[in-house]
Amino acid sequence: MINVNTRMALASIGSARWRSFLTMLGVIIGVLSVVTIVSLGEGVKQQLGAQVKRSGQDLLTVRGGHLATRSNQGKITSVNLLNLFGGNALSDSDLQTIQKVPGLKLVAPFAVVAGVPQADDGTQVEDVTIVATNDKGADALSQDVVYGGFFGADDNNKPVAVIGKRVAERLFRANVPIGRSFELRGQKFIVQGVFQEFDANPLTPGIDYNQAVFVPYEFIKRSTTTPLTPYQILVRPDNKQTPQAAGQAITDTLKQAHGGQADFTVLQAADNIAIANNVLNILTSLVTSIAGISLLVGGIGIMNIMLVAVSERTHEIGIRKSIGATNRQILSQFLTEAVVLSTVGGFLGVLASLAANYFLRLFTNLQPVITWPIMGIAVAVAIAVGTFFGMTPALKAARKDPIEALRRI
Amino acid sequence: MPVIELQDVSKLYGFGDATTIALDEVSLKIESGEFVAVMGPSGSGKSTLMNLLGLLDHPTHGSYKLGDRFVSRLRPNLRAKARRDTIGFVFQSFNLLPNMTVLENVALPLAYKGMTKTRRLKQAGHVLERVGLSDREYFYPYQLSGGQAQRAAIARALVNNPSIIIADEPTGNLDSAASRVVMEVLSDIHASGSTILMVTHNPELTRYASRVVFMRDGSIVTDEQSAIGELSETVRRRSYFVRHKTVEDDLAGVSALMGAVQDKDTQPKAVKKKRSSKAKSYKAREKRTKAK
Ligand SMILES: Nc1ncnc2c1ncn2[C@@H]1O[C@H](COP(=O)(O)OP(=O)(O)O)[C@@H](O)[C@H]1O
Ligand SMILES: [Mg+2]
Repeated sequence: MINVNTRMALASIGSARWRSFLTMLGVIIGVLSVVTIVSLGEGVKQQLGAQVKRSGQDLLTVRGGHLATRSNQGKITSVNLLNLFGGNALSDSDLQTIQKVPGLKLVAPFAVVAGVPQADDGTQVEDVTIVATNDKGADALSQDVVYGGFFGADDNNKPVAVIGKRVAERLFRANVPIGRSFELRGQKFIVQGVFQEFDANPLTPGIDYNQAVFVPYEFIKRSTTTPLTPYQILVRPDNKQTPQAAGQAITDTLKQAHGGQADFTVLQAADNIAIANNVLNILTSLVTSIAGISLLVGGIGIMNIMLVAVSERTHEIGIRKSIGATNRQILSQFLTEAVVLSTVGGFLGVLASLAANYFLRLFTNLQPVITWPIMGIAVAVAIAVGTFFGMTPALKAARKDPIEALRRI
Repeated sequence: MPVIELQDVSKLYGFGDATTIALDEVSLKIESGEFVAVMGPSGSGKSTLMNLLGLLDHPTHGSYKLGDRFVSRLRPNLRAKARRDTIGFVFQSFNLLPNMTVLENVALPLAYKGMTKTRRLKQAGHVLERVGLSDREYFYPYQLSGGQAQRAAIARALVNNPSIIIADEPTGNLDSAASRVVMEVLSDIHASGSTILMVTHNPELTRYASRVVFMRDGSIVTDEQSAIGELSETVRRRSYFVRHKTVEDDLAGVSALMGAVQDKDTQPKAVKKKRSSKAKSYKAREKRTKAK
């Protein structure tokens, strides 16, 4: 009986395709938005996970501003979104303070410098980011240089540069522009390396390292009057120290230097994920409530169309009852139709989100990941919506009196 | 043991001053193998009686025993199952589901029984063969003539091997030729041992019945045995049936008789059309009938 009902339901949906589609739209949009946001979150988590794995559990990130509140156990409990995306920079003296903290293997500042590089042939690329860092920069980022090499300790005071892959292509129109030079703020820099392509970094929006030119921090510091303000300082402790202990030491020292103010944040490797989760949870709950409204509207649409179907098909109900259909069988016929309607909507929603996923990957840095459980939950929710909102019309159909239903006025 | 046993069954509609007594303490016993024709003027309660017997409606008072069970107070679920398994109902307006083929329509009661698709289609095929519609299995109802549609509806009523077939004016929408085919089918079914209860306005059709019941104002006024092939006693005595049987009548079929007898409001369209050629003589006859 179940699959007879299903086949009948599919047939009746197929016979009124346009009407059925409009009815399903609410469910489709609801499922589409939930699946997309959840898959985006999943993608960001996976990207971050991979990044943490690559850059190592011992990487500490020092940033300006109070980004996150921690519980006593050191777990991040809330995130200050404005500080996260607004630039609350550190200063050069913070760098010097951190460099004095004992037990650190590596300290690398990252500061953005204003300027437009110009190749010898006059080509300018305006949307390139100039990042000033020291010889530990590549190590801190755990990024390989594919051609040439990163600057060494003795390059810190020289006008050299390591560039991102896109810069090589756009500024020099070459894959390996080693030895070529460009002019930046009246100074010639010689390219001595090209970074391997960076994976998209979901947590530093606005900076794409593939579009960046890396120059020595010391050299820039000397040659300009504007003070450098690192947006982050990356740190790795040596083997004798845990990242937690090192983080605590940095926090204590910096706080002291800031006159007791904790207007900076030291993040452990895993904290990035915690922050991302926190941000994503806010986003997810927002989108989920929109999706919830959409599903509610979709459910009401289904209920409405089923009520219409029940009254349109009153005579059919009478006939079916007269030949022996039980109330339960009539109920299951109409309930199946509602559930099939919402489930088809759910599947279309999943298909739409697969398409959305494809286009997001194609046109943005985001890498949404749609997993089987996400799809399963989406379809399950669609089924639940159909069952819930289909129940009233189905009960109405089941309770019809056969004689009343058969009467034609 | 009787197939159907009604004891003082009444059916009232409405309240207070507006109460209609559609059935007035009717008692009726139908034995297995009978072919009962129910006649009576429009509004005399024939359909109400059929609906009660078909478990489509509830009596207001009285008891109804179907087979060995009292069914007047049955729960909806069991009523549905009794409708499905022991009663085959045939309507005047066929009531086939328009979006299913004839075969699927006939097989539908078996689906509600939970039979697998192959089995029920096979069984439905056999029944369609019995009513002579094997070549129309895959037609949709709108592709059938009235007579074929009614035979399909009879097949659907038969498919569960019910203990009784209830037909409320099965030929009411049919022309004379189609009526005759449908009656032959019912007659065959009766001959093979089924019990049939049929409402008709056409006295001529009482020839197929083994018993004729007359109703008036919600009561059974006469109830008599009648030899198959003969008109019932009361039909013959009723003054509106005045003529001798002639060769011409045989050729014209029952439609002429229907025209002579039927109330205006139940006059089927098909019959009206057919009649038009001979309209004058039948109109005259109708007038004579009304005068009496
Ligand atoms: N649903 C109803 N509500 C009120 N009165 C009804 C209803 N159904 C039938 N009746 C009345 O019951 C009486 C018997 O009707 P019915 O059984 O249909 O007669 P028949 O089939 O013999 O023409 C009529 O007077 C009719 O008006
Ligand atoms: Mg009637």
